[in-house]
Amino acid sequence: MTAGMAQSQGWVTRYFKAFCKGFFVAVPVAVTFLDRVACVARVEGASMQPSLNPGGSQSSDVVLLNHWKVRKFEVQRGDIVSLVSPKNPEQKIIKRVIALEGDIVKTIGHKNRYVKVPRGHIWVEGDHHGHSFDSNSFGPVSLGLLHAHATHILWPPERWQKLESVLPPERLPVQSEKESLHGSP
Amino acid sequence: MSFMKLKAISILLTVINFINNNNKKSGDQGPWWQSLHRTMLRGILGKTFRLVGYTIQYACIAHCAFEYVGGVVMCSGPSMEPTIQNSDIVCAENLSRHFYGIQRGDIVIAKSPSDPKSNICKRVIGLEGDKILTSRPSDFFKSHNYVPTGHVWLEGDNLQNSTDSRYYGPVPYGLIRGRIFFKKSCS
Repeated sequence: MTAGMAQSQGWVTRYFKAFCKGFFVAVPVAVTFLDRVACVARVEGASMQPSLNPGGSQSSDVVLLNHWKVRKFEVQRGDIVSLVSPKNPEQKIIKRVIALEGDIVKTIGHKNRYVKVPRGHIWVEGDHHGHSFDSNSFGPVSLGLLHAHATHILWPPERWQKLESVLPPERLPVQSEKESLHGSP
Repeated sequence: MSFMKLKAISILLTVINFINNNNKKSGDQGPWWQSLHRTMLRGILGKTFRLVGYTIQYACIAHCAFEYVGGVVMCSGPSMEPTIQNSDIVCAENLSRHFYGIQRGDIVIAKSPSDPKSNICKRVIGLEGDKILTSRPSDFFKSHNYVPTGHVWLEGDNLQNSTDSRYYGPVPYGLIRGRIFFKKSCS
Protein backbone atom coordinates (compact mmCIF):
# COMPACT_ATOMS: atom_id res chain seq x y z
CA MET A 1 0.00 0.00 0.00
CA THR A 2 2.81 2.41 0.85
CA ALA A 3 4.54 1.70 -2.47
CA GLY A 4 1.30 2.49 -4.33
CA MET A 5 0.83 5.74 -2.41
CA ALA A 6 4.42 6.80 -3.04
CA GLN A 7 3.94 6.13 -6.74
CA SER A 8 0.76 8.21 -7.01
CA GLN A 9 2.40 11.02 -5.04
CA GLY A 10 5.37 10.97 -7.39
CA TRP A 11 2.97 11.28 -10.31
CA VAL A 12 1.20 14.24 -8.69
CA THR A 13 4.40 16.16 -7.96
CA ARG A 14 5.70 15.56 -11.48
CA TYR A 15 2.42 16.78 -12.95
CA PHE A 16 2.44 19.81 -10.66
CA LYS A 17 6.01 20.71 -11.64
CA ALA A 18 5.22 20.37 -15.33
CA PHE A 19 2.11 22.51 -14.89
CA CYS A 20 4.06 25.24 -13.11
CA LYS A 21 6.78 25.25 -15.74
CA GLY A 22 4.22 25.50 -18.54
CA PHE A 23 2.24 28.15 -16.69
CA PHE A 24 5.21 30.44 -16.12
CA VAL A 25 6.27 30.11 -19.73
CA ALA A 26 2.90 30.29 -21.46
CA VAL A 27 1.09 32.97 -19.47
CA PRO A 28 3.70 35.79 -19.69
CA VAL A 29 4.30 35.08 -23.38
CA ALA A 30 0.58 35.11 -24.16
CA VAL A 31 -0.07 38.25 -22.10
CA THR A 32 2.87 40.06 -23.71
CA PHE A 33 1.67 39.04 -27.16
CA LEU A 34 -1.85 40.32 -26.54
CA ASP A 35 -0.51 43.55 -25.04
CA ARG A 36 2.25 44.37 -27.48
CA VAL A 37 1.64 42.60 -30.78
CA ALA A 38 -2.01 42.07 -31.63
CA CYS A 39 -5.36 41.23 -30.16
CA VAL A 40 -8.95 40.89 -31.24
CA ALA A 41 -11.94 42.92 -30.13
CA ARG A 42 -15.66 43.21 -30.78
CA VAL A 43 -16.92 46.59 -31.90
CA GLU A 44 -20.07 47.89 -30.25
CA GLY A 45 -22.10 50.91 -31.12
CA ALA A 46 -23.00 52.80 -34.25
CA SER A 47 -20.43 55.58 -34.21
CA MET A 48 -18.33 54.14 -37.04
CA GLN A 49 -21.13 53.25 -39.47
CA PRO A 50 -20.96 52.37 -42.31
CA SER A 51 -17.32 51.26 -42.05
CA LEU A 52 -17.87 49.17 -38.91
CA ASN A 53 -21.08 47.59 -37.57
CA PRO A 54 -23.37 48.46 -40.47
CA GLY A 55 -25.90 45.96 -39.21
CA GLY A 56 -26.33 47.70 -35.89
CA SER A 57 -26.89 45.51 -32.87
CA GLN A 58 -27.78 42.43 -34.94
CA SER A 59 -24.18 41.54 -35.71
CA SER A 60 -21.15 43.23 -34.20
CA ASP A 61 -17.94 43.28 -36.18
CA VAL A 62 -14.83 41.72 -34.71
CA VAL A 63 -11.64 43.56 -35.65
CA LEU A 64 -7.95 42.75 -35.44
CA LEU A 65 -6.15 45.31 -33.31
CA ASN A 66 -2.47 45.76 -34.13
CA HIS A 67 -0.44 47.14 -31.22
CA TRP A 68 2.89 46.72 -32.95
CA LYS A 69 2.15 49.39 -35.55
CA VAL A 70 1.53 52.07 -32.94
CA ARG A 71 4.41 51.19 -30.62
CA LYS A 72 6.14 54.42 -31.66
CA PHE A 73 2.85 56.39 -31.70
CA GLU A 74 3.00 56.84 -35.47
CA VAL A 75 -0.44 57.17 -37.01
CA GLN A 76 -1.64 58.57 -40.33
CA ARG A 77 -4.74 60.59 -41.13
CA GLY A 78 -7.54 58.18 -41.98
CA ASP A 79 -6.35 55.30 -39.77
CA ILE A 80 -8.96 53.59 -37.65
CA VAL A 81 -7.53 53.41 -34.15
CA SER A 82 -8.65 52.27 -30.74
CA LEU A 83 -7.84 54.43 -27.74
CA VAL A 84 -8.60 54.68 -24.04
CA SER A 85 -11.64 56.90 -23.64
CA PRO A 86 -10.64 60.25 -22.10
CA LYS A 87 -13.93 60.39 -20.23
CA ASN A 88 -13.93 56.82 -18.94
CA PRO A 89 -10.57 55.08 -18.51
CA GLU A 90 -12.20 51.65 -18.25
CA GLN A 91 -13.52 51.86 -21.79
CA LYS A 92 -11.83 51.72 -25.16
CA ILE A 93 -13.29 53.59 -28.10
CA ILE A 94 -12.60 53.03 -31.78
CA LYS A 95 -12.52 56.04 -34.11
CA ARG A 96 -10.83 57.38 -37.23
CA VAL A 97 -7.86 59.76 -37.05
CA ILE A 98 -8.85 62.99 -38.79
CA ALA A 99 -5.97 65.30 -37.92
CA LEU A 100 -2.46 65.10 -36.48
CA GLU A 101 -0.58 67.59 -34.32
CA GLY A 102 -0.31 71.04 -35.82
CA ASP A 103 -3.38 70.66 -38.08
CA ILE A 104 -6.31 73.04 -37.92
CA VAL A 105 -9.66 71.24 -38.13
CA LYS A 106 -13.13 72.53 -38.83
CA THR A 107 -15.20 70.98 -36.07
CA ILE A 108 -18.77 69.66 -36.11
CA GLY A 109 -20.62 70.52 -32.94
CA HIS A 110 -17.59 71.57 -30.87
CA LYS A 111 -17.68 74.74 -28.83
CA ASN A 112 -14.97 76.29 -31.04
CA ARG A 113 -15.43 76.42 -34.81
CA TYR A 114 -11.77 75.82 -35.63
CA VAL A 115 -9.33 73.99 -33.40
CA LYS A 116 -5.58 73.68 -33.75
CA VAL A 117 -4.45 70.25 -32.59
CA PRO A 118 -1.72 70.71 -29.92
CA ARG A 119 1.61 68.92 -29.92
CA GLY A 120 1.38 65.25 -28.97
CA HIS A 121 -2.39 65.11 -29.65
CA ILE A 122 -4.67 63.86 -32.43
CA TRP A 123 -8.22 64.61 -33.51
CA VAL A 124 -10.45 61.55 -33.87
CA GLU A 125 -13.97 61.29 -35.21
CA GLY A 126 -16.45 58.53 -35.81
CA ASP A 127 -17.69 58.07 -39.38
CA HIS A 128 -21.31 58.45 -38.27
CA HIS A 129 -21.35 62.14 -37.39
CA GLY A 130 -23.96 63.06 -34.85
CA HIS A 131 -24.04 59.58 -33.32
CA SER A 132 -20.44 59.59 -32.24
CA PHE A 133 -18.78 60.50 -28.96
CA ASP A 134 -15.48 61.76 -30.33
CA SER A 135 -13.15 64.76 -30.43
CA ASN A 136 -16.10 66.97 -31.30
CA SER A 137 -17.22 66.33 -27.71
CA PHE A 138 -14.00 65.99 -25.73
CA GLY A 139 -11.47 67.82 -27.89
CA PRO A 140 -8.09 66.58 -29.08
CA VAL A 141 -6.79 63.43 -27.37
CA SER A 142 -3.23 62.82 -26.22
CA LEU A 143 -1.25 60.25 -28.22
CA GLY A 144 -0.44 58.49 -24.95
CA LEU A 145 -4.02 57.18 -24.89
CA LEU A 146 -3.51 55.39 -28.21
CA HIS A 147 -4.14 51.69 -27.78
CA ALA A 148 -3.98 49.99 -31.19
CA HIS A 149 -4.53 50.33 -34.93
CA ALA A 150 -7.53 48.38 -36.29
CA THR A 151 -6.33 46.77 -39.51
CA HIS A 152 -8.80 44.05 -40.53
CA ILE A 153 -12.35 42.91 -39.91
CA LEU A 154 -12.26 39.24 -38.93
CA TRP A 155 -15.93 38.39 -38.31
CA PRO A 156 -18.55 37.92 -39.75
CA PRO A 157 -16.87 36.05 -42.60
CA GLU A 158 -18.84 37.88 -45.30
CA ARG A 159 -17.26 41.11 -44.04
CA TRP A 160 -13.63 39.94 -44.16
CA GLN A 161 -11.67 42.94 -45.40
CA LYS A 162 -8.67 45.12 -44.79
CA LEU A 163 -9.67 48.45 -43.30
CA GLU A 164 -8.39 51.22 -45.54
CA SER A 165 -6.89 54.43 -44.16
CA VAL A 166 -9.07 56.75 -46.18
CA LEU A 167 -10.07 60.22 -45.10
CA PRO A 168 -13.35 61.57 -46.51
CA PRO A 169 -12.46 64.71 -48.51
CA GLU A 170 -14.87 66.92 -46.59
CA ARG A 171 -13.00 66.13 -43.36
CA LEU A 172 -9.55 67.09 -44.58
CA PRO A 173 -7.84 69.50 -42.19
CA VAL A 174 -8.06 73.15 -43.14
CA GLN A 175 -4.33 73.55 -42.70
CA SER A 176 -1.72 70.94 -41.92
CA GLU A 177 1.86 71.17 -40.73
CA LYS A 178 2.87 67.52 -41.09
CA GLU A 179 2.56 65.77 -44.43
CA SER A 180 1.41 62.13 -44.44
CA LEU A 181 4.12 59.59 -45.11
CA HIS A 182 1.95 57.97 -47.78
CA GLY A 183 2.00 61.02 -50.03
CA SER A 184 -1.37 62.63 -50.72
CA PRO A 185 -3.17 63.99 -47.65
CA MET B 1 29.25 43.93 -26.78
CA SER B 2 31.86 42.11 -24.68
CA PHE B 3 29.12 40.00 -23.10
CA MET B 4 28.09 38.79 -26.57
CA LYS B 5 31.71 37.92 -27.41
CA LEU B 6 32.03 35.94 -24.16
CA LYS B 7 28.83 34.14 -24.96
CA ALA B 8 30.04 33.37 -28.50
CA ILE B 9 33.39 32.06 -27.21
CA SER B 10 31.70 29.91 -24.58
CA ILE B 11 29.31 28.52 -27.17
CA LEU B 12 32.23 27.71 -29.48
CA LEU B 13 34.12 25.93 -26.68
CA THR B 14 31.00 23.95 -25.74
CA VAL B 15 30.51 22.97 -29.37
CA ILE B 16 34.16 21.82 -29.77
CA ASN B 17 33.85 19.81 -26.56
CA PHE B 18 30.59 18.34 -27.78
CA ILE B 19 32.18 17.34 -31.08
CA ASN B 20 35.15 15.71 -29.35
CA ASN B 21 32.87 13.69 -27.09
CA ASN B 22 30.66 12.71 -30.00
CA ASN B 23 33.62 11.52 -32.08
CA LYS B 24 35.06 9.50 -29.20
CA LYS B 25 31.69 7.81 -28.58
CA SER B 26 30.67 6.96 -32.14
CA GLY B 27 34.16 6.28 -33.45
CA ASP B 28 33.32 7.98 -36.71
CA GLN B 29 35.79 6.92 -39.34
CA GLY B 30 34.75 9.41 -42.03
CA PRO B 31 36.70 12.57 -42.92
CA TRP B 32 37.03 14.76 -39.83
CA TRP B 33 35.66 17.89 -41.47
CA GLN B 34 32.41 16.11 -42.41
CA SER B 35 31.59 15.09 -38.85
CA LEU B 36 32.73 18.50 -37.59
CA HIS B 37 30.38 20.20 -40.03
CA ARG B 38 27.43 18.05 -39.05
CA THR B 39 27.76 18.26 -35.29
CA MET B 40 28.77 21.93 -35.33
CA LEU B 41 25.68 22.87 -37.33
CA ARG B 42 23.36 20.86 -35.10
CA GLY B 43 25.03 22.09 -31.92
CA ILE B 44 25.06 25.77 -32.88
CA LEU B 45 21.49 25.73 -34.19
CA GLY B 46 20.23 24.03 -31.07
CA LYS B 47 22.06 26.44 -28.79
CA THR B 48 20.86 29.46 -30.77
CA PHE B 49 17.24 28.37 -30.60
CA ARG B 50 17.52 27.74 -26.87
CA LEU B 51 19.13 31.16 -26.34
CA VAL B 52 16.42 32.90 -28.36
CA GLY B 53 13.73 30.99 -26.49
CA TYR B 54 15.08 31.98 -23.09
CA THR B 55 15.46 35.60 -24.16
CA ILE B 56 11.84 35.78 -25.34
CA GLN B 57 10.62 34.13 -22.16
CA TYR B 58 12.52 36.50 -19.85
CA ALA B 59 11.52 39.53 -21.91
CA CYS B 60 7.86 38.54 -21.58
CA ILE B 61 8.16 38.01 -17.84
CA ALA B 62 9.86 41.41 -17.53
CA HIS B 63 7.09 43.05 -19.57
CA CYS B 64 4.38 41.50 -17.38
CA ALA B 65 6.20 42.55 -14.22
CA PHE B 66 6.65 46.18 -15.35
CA GLU B 67 3.16 46.46 -16.76
CA TYR B 68 1.09 44.83 -14.03
CA VAL B 69 3.20 44.82 -10.87
CA GLY B 70 5.69 47.67 -10.81
CA GLY B 71 9.28 48.64 -11.26
CA VAL B 72 12.17 50.86 -10.35
CA VAL B 73 12.39 54.27 -12.01
CA MET B 74 14.89 57.08 -11.93
CA CYS B 75 13.37 60.54 -11.71
CA SER B 76 15.14 63.56 -13.17
CA GLY B 77 14.21 67.20 -12.90
CA PRO B 78 13.56 69.70 -10.14
CA SER B 79 9.76 69.78 -10.27
CA MET B 80 9.15 67.53 -7.26
CA GLU B 81 11.68 69.00 -4.83
CA PRO B 82 12.03 68.66 -1.90
CA THR B 83 10.10 65.38 -1.93
CA ILE B 84 12.04 63.82 -4.80
CA GLN B 85 15.43 65.23 -5.73
CA ASN B 86 17.04 65.05 -9.13
CA SER B 87 18.34 61.55 -10.00
CA ASP B 88 16.54 59.79 -7.17
CA ILE B 89 15.63 56.14 -7.48
CA VAL B 90 11.97 55.43 -6.73
CA CYS B 91 9.83 52.31 -6.73
CA ALA B 92 6.52 52.51 -8.54
CA GLU B 93 3.66 50.04 -8.39
CA ASN B 94 1.06 49.66 -11.11
CA LEU B 95 -1.65 47.81 -9.20
CA SER B 96 -3.41 50.99 -7.99
CA ARG B 97 -3.84 52.18 -11.54
CA HIS B 98 -5.52 48.96 -12.66
CA PHE B 99 -7.85 48.89 -9.67
CA TYR B 100 -8.55 52.63 -9.86
CA GLY B 101 -7.16 53.26 -6.39
CA ILE B 102 -5.24 56.46 -7.11
CA GLN B 103 -6.09 59.07 -4.46
CA ARG B 104 -5.45 62.73 -3.78
CA GLY B 105 -1.91 63.27 -2.55
CA ASP B 106 -0.40 60.26 -4.37
CA ILE B 107 2.71 60.83 -6.41
CA VAL B 108 2.18 59.21 -9.79
CA ILE B 109 4.17 58.57 -12.92
CA ALA B 110 2.24 59.40 -16.09
CA LYS B 111 2.88 59.71 -19.80
CA SER B 112 3.44 63.30 -20.75
CA PRO B 113 0.36 64.72 -22.55
CA SER B 114 2.49 66.58 -25.08
CA ASP B 115 5.06 63.83 -25.67
CA PRO B 116 3.82 60.25 -25.32
CA LYS B 117 7.32 58.81 -25.29
CA SER B 118 8.40 60.57 -22.10
CA ASN B 119 7.09 60.26 -18.56
CA ILE B 120 6.30 62.84 -15.93
CA CYS B 121 6.31 62.45 -12.18
CA LYS B 122 3.81 64.64 -10.31
CA ARG B 123 1.44 64.66 -7.35
CA VAL B 124 -2.31 64.19 -7.75
CA ILE B 125 -3.97 67.33 -6.44
CA GLY B 126 -7.51 66.69 -7.59
CA LEU B 127 -9.65 63.86 -8.91
CA GLU B 128 -12.64 64.17 -11.25
CA GLY B 129 -15.26 66.58 -10.03
CA ASP B 130 -12.93 68.48 -7.68
CA LYS B 131 -12.74 72.27 -7.77
CA ILE B 132 -9.20 73.38 -8.53
CA LEU B 133 -7.40 76.71 -8.53
CA THR B 134 -6.27 76.79 -12.14
CA SER B 135 -4.68 80.19 -12.58
CA ARG B 136 -0.98 80.35 -13.38
CA PRO B 137 1.32 82.01 -10.83
CA SER B 138 1.73 85.00 -13.18
CA ASP B 139 -2.04 85.64 -13.46
CA PHE B 140 -3.48 88.50 -11.46
CA PHE B 141 -7.02 87.13 -11.11
CA LYS B 142 -7.47 83.68 -9.61
CA SER B 143 -9.65 81.30 -11.60
CA HIS B 144 -11.30 78.07 -10.48
CA ASN B 145 -12.30 75.13 -12.55
CA TYR B 146 -13.75 71.68 -12.08
CA VAL B 147 -11.71 68.65 -13.06
CA PRO B 148 -13.67 66.88 -15.85
CA THR B 149 -14.70 63.21 -15.61
CA GLY B 150 -11.96 60.74 -16.33
CA HIS B 151 -9.19 63.26 -15.64
CA VAL B 152 -6.87 64.18 -12.76
CA TRP B 153 -5.09 67.39 -11.84
CA LEU B 154 -1.34 67.00 -11.39
CA GLU B 155 1.04 69.48 -9.81
CA GLY B 156 4.69 69.24 -8.87
CA ASP B 157 5.74 69.98 -5.30
CA ASN B 158 8.16 72.65 -6.46
CA LEU B 159 5.45 75.03 -7.68
CA GLN B 160 7.85 77.67 -8.94
CA ASN B 161 9.70 75.25 -11.19
CA SER B 162 7.14 72.76 -12.43
CA THR B 163 5.34 72.36 -15.76
CA ASP B 164 2.16 70.61 -14.77
CA SER B 165 -1.62 70.76 -15.11
CA ARG B 166 -1.53 74.52 -14.54
CA TYR B 167 0.00 74.73 -18.04
CA TYR B 168 -1.37 71.78 -20.01
CA GLY B 169 -4.69 71.29 -18.25
CA PRO B 170 -6.20 68.22 -16.59
CA VAL B 171 -4.55 64.93 -17.53
CA PRO B 172 -6.69 61.91 -18.60
CA TYR B 173 -6.61 59.05 -16.11
CA GLY B 174 -5.56 56.69 -18.93
CA LEU B 175 -2.13 58.33 -19.09
CA ILE B 176 -1.21 57.37 -15.52
CA ARG B 177 1.34 54.52 -15.45
CA GLY B 178 1.94 53.90 -11.77
CA ARG B 179 2.06 55.21 -8.21
CA ILE B 180 5.30 55.84 -6.34
CA PHE B 181 5.40 54.31 -2.90
CA PHE B 182 9.09 54.23 -1.96
CA LYS B 183 12.03 56.51 -2.50
CA LYS B 184 15.68 55.76 -1.95
CA SER B 185 17.62 58.98 -1.50
CA CYS B 186 20.91 58.96 -3.34
CA SER B 187 22.51 62.08 -1.85
